Amino acid sequence: MAAKKPIPAADDLSSPFWDAAKEHRLMVQRCGSCGYYNHPPRPYCDACTAQDLRFEAVSGRGTVYSFTVMHQRDVAGFEEEAPFINIVVELAEQARLLMVSNLPRSESARVKIGVAVEVYFEDRGEGVVIPQFRIT
Amino acid sequence: MWQGKGKTAIAGIGYSEISRRPQKPLGLLAIDACRAAIEDAGLRADQVDGLATYPESPFAGAGNRDGEDVVSVNWVMNHLALAPDLKWYAQIETGMIASPMIEAVNALIADACEYVLVWRALHRPRPRAAGNSASGGAPRAAGDAQFIAPYGGSSIVQTHALAWQRYTHRYGATREALAALALNSRRNANLNPRAFFYKEPMTRDDYFNSRWIAEPLCLFDCDVPVDGCVALILTTAERARDLANPPAYIAGYGQNTANRRTLFYYTLDDYMACGQSLANKLWAAAGLGPRDMDAAELYDGFNPSTLYWLEAAGFCGEGEGASFVQDGRIALDGALPVNTFGGSLSEGRMHGMGHIAEAVRQVTDRAERRQIPGASAVCAIDGSPMLRGSGIIVTREP
Repeated sequence: MAAKKPIPAADDLSSPFWDAAKEHRLMVQRCGSCGYYNHPPRPYCDACTAQDLRFEAVSGRGTVYSFTVMHQRDVAGFEEEAPFINIVVELAEQARLLMVSNLPRSESARVKIGVAVEVYFEDRGEGVVIPQFRIT
Repeated sequence: MWQGKGKTAIAGIGYSEISRRPQKPLGLLAIDACRAAIEDAGLRADQVDGLATYPESPFAGAGNRDGEDVVSVNWVMNHLALAPDLKWYAQIETGMIASPMIEAVNALIADACEYVLVWRALHRPRPRAAGNSASGGAPRAAGDAQFIAPYGGSSIVQTHALAWQRYTHRYGATREALAALALNSRRNANLNPRAFFYKEPMTRDDYFNSRWIAEPLCLFDCDVPVDGCVALILTTAERARDLANPPAYIAGYGQNTANRRTLFYYTLDDYMACGQSLANKLWAAAGLGPRDMDAAELYDGFNPSTLYWLEAAGFCGEGEGASFVQDGRIALDGALPVNTFGGSLSEGRMHGMGHIAEAVRQVTDRAERRQIPGASAVCAIDGSPMLRGSGIIVTREP
């Protein structure tokens, strides 16, 4: 039997992100001192080390920063799906504010660096909802 | 110029068997390599009074049982009879294998010890269980992995594939560049009796027909996971001159020190600045530049890293690596021979230790059929310039 896909283990820092995802909202930790967005969330601002941090809604729009097609069949939970596409999305709010996503294999001809994408939310069941991005 | 230039040297090289089905646990392979290095230098084990290594696993989660998955300073102290009173040791957690070498050089110049044994032991991780899902539930991804693993992100090869994708997009490079590097390394490995692929040639068709791993990287863009250990003996230049081999003098070193805020998915964007931060120190210390190198041993855990190093270290300009590696320029008889021993791609994944050992062989006329006549200065740089690295230059004369 193929393993199930890994689920995010929300922690004190990340739970606002995952709680927002359940409500189909994309929230990213932002520094109240310098305005820098931190993802993954940190207990300090990665840009200025301030501790004045809060989660803010972001647009959910961005572009494909890069992509790869994984052909190995040894990725936990993805054994049956290989080859599968991973994209890294650069969110519109900040240079190199990056998030990982999947694209369906049917998008392999359309995926290019710089292509515009938008967020949607995938329900993985058992209370797990994760942000995903699709080509607009 | 660095005041330590030429004051220390590499005096011995030892290899364990490098294979995928070892008859011995990793610790015993390390002992084989360490003993071989000590013997090669013409020393007795009880003269070795300094130890340094970089005991990290090949990747996160690959296991860290001492003596089986990694071989630490502590393990070697407990299992190899060396000087009864060891004087100095260092165990490095960052950088790459040149980093403990750098520590050893500093210790020797400071007169903290006389003969330092440096080793790097690496195991080939066995297939992993799919997370901690003993009850049949989904594995839970914690820490930064919670933002990656649910999407199938699990391996460093995917990270390198993402970076290479950006490189091809930015500079218009194609797989021809990676093919040139892989084929060059295989030709050189076919002249290296220690190489995993010593007896297996590779054709252009072999390269282009190999299976994808993480597209756009194929099987032959990845190093060969092996079990094995390489060890070196370092000492002062003065002591080295009394030992069995001609010394390979250490002319300079450098480590990556540039700002890098993108450890999450480390991206291509920083590779020039990160690599230059290392290379500038390397060239300044030795009073030498890229044009003075008779060969360059540039880390290739994944094939594109060699290309990035060629640019970041100044062998060619930014974005010019793909054309630089064509037309035989990097072959043994080319203008800049690269990875003359086969690299990690074809010798095996020794995390940069093979690169250093080969640099030593080249400047001491011990490079067998790969010898570059009269090679006087060779650099060995490990890591990947978009993340971290360390490097040294060795020379024939102090």
